[in-house]
Amino acid sequence: MRMGYVIRSWFKVRGRGLEQVSFAARRLAGIIMALYFLVHVIDISTVVLGKEVYDAFLEVFTSPSAIVVDLFLWAALVIHGVLGVYSLVIEMGIMVEKRKMLLALSWFIIVLFFLVGAWVIMNVS
Amino acid sequence: MKYRVVVRRCKEGWGKPEYKSYEVDVDPDTSVLDVVEKISLEMDRALVFEHACHHGVCGACGMVINGVERLACVTKIGGVARNGIVVLEPLRGFRVISDLAVDKSRMFKQYALVKPGTHEKVNGVVGIEKLLDCLECGICYSACPIANTFEEYLGPSVIAMSYRSTIDGKIPAIIDTRKGVWACHASFECSARCPADFKPGETIMKIRKGLLFGKLEVV
Repeated sequence: MRMGYVIRSWFKVRGRGLEQVSFAARRLAGIIMALYFLVHVIDISTVVLGKEVYDAFLEVFTSPSAIVVDLFLWAALVIHGVLGVYSLVIEMGIMVEKRKMLLALSWFIIVLFFLVGAWVIMNVS
Repeated sequence: MKYRVVVRRCKEGWGKPEYKSYEVDVDPDTSVLDVVEKISLEMDRALVFEHACHHGVCGACGMVINGVERLACVTKIGGVARNGIVVLEPLRGFRVISDLAVDKSRMFKQYALVKPGTHEKVNGVVGIEKLLDCLECGICYSACPIANTFEEYLGPSVIAMSYRSTIDGKIPAIIDTRKGVWACHASFECSARCPADFKPGETIMKIRKGLLFGKLEVV
């Protein structure tokens, strides 16, 4: 199956319900985090190249502009985590009738967690 | 009122599909299927599409209308047009035979895998016939992101049918596999798009719950 077709199927949200949008968001956030994990492994493995190289990388990741990346990653983590818990409950067949309420609550928690985390990222260094 | 209907055209042997637009002047209450028939009769005799009952029962005219799966016969053009434009595409997840007609054998073949079917045969005679609402239109396959990308998946309607046709809480073993209920990832688009409100997504979760908590027996 062509990858383009798969991607379009997963992330097709136009005209879809909140449940499909949430499915797509959870999957996208998971992919972003997997890619970040890969970058992170490469980043920390630069320690074998010496202190200077490692410190240079650290400088990039602690620069003010990196805060935007941190916020983005935090959003991905919260979306994937909270929607993951929602998915775990629903996919066990629990609260299926009340899933729309549970999904709305999940997005409320996502916004709340993101705002708290964003405040910490921007104010605690 | 004037509408521009854009149809995805694809014939055997074509390298890639093309989109062809038609200008039609119809009442906003006209069904999309009637518009397609008008195009076929008056403008393009080579346009291929499926239809039969014209009142939302046979499930033959399922197609993607402006990005969303619907039965063309019960969809009013005025209700779905965006800025006077309606884009028609074949259902996703199936092989396109020609233009808007798809080969649904992928779905129908799965019905043979599921035992028992809707007809319980006792001594070769139909002992009990459960009338189920599913139109077998294939819309749930097209809307489901998993059925679209995992070809072995039995599909929402087949799983729901198999469960609802059971009489003693016993489900076929194939339902309790990776290509059965465990493939679903709860996007519930199957239920949201189902024209018969058959709720296949909810049924799949009900089966999972039954399996997890030992309420269903696998045979």
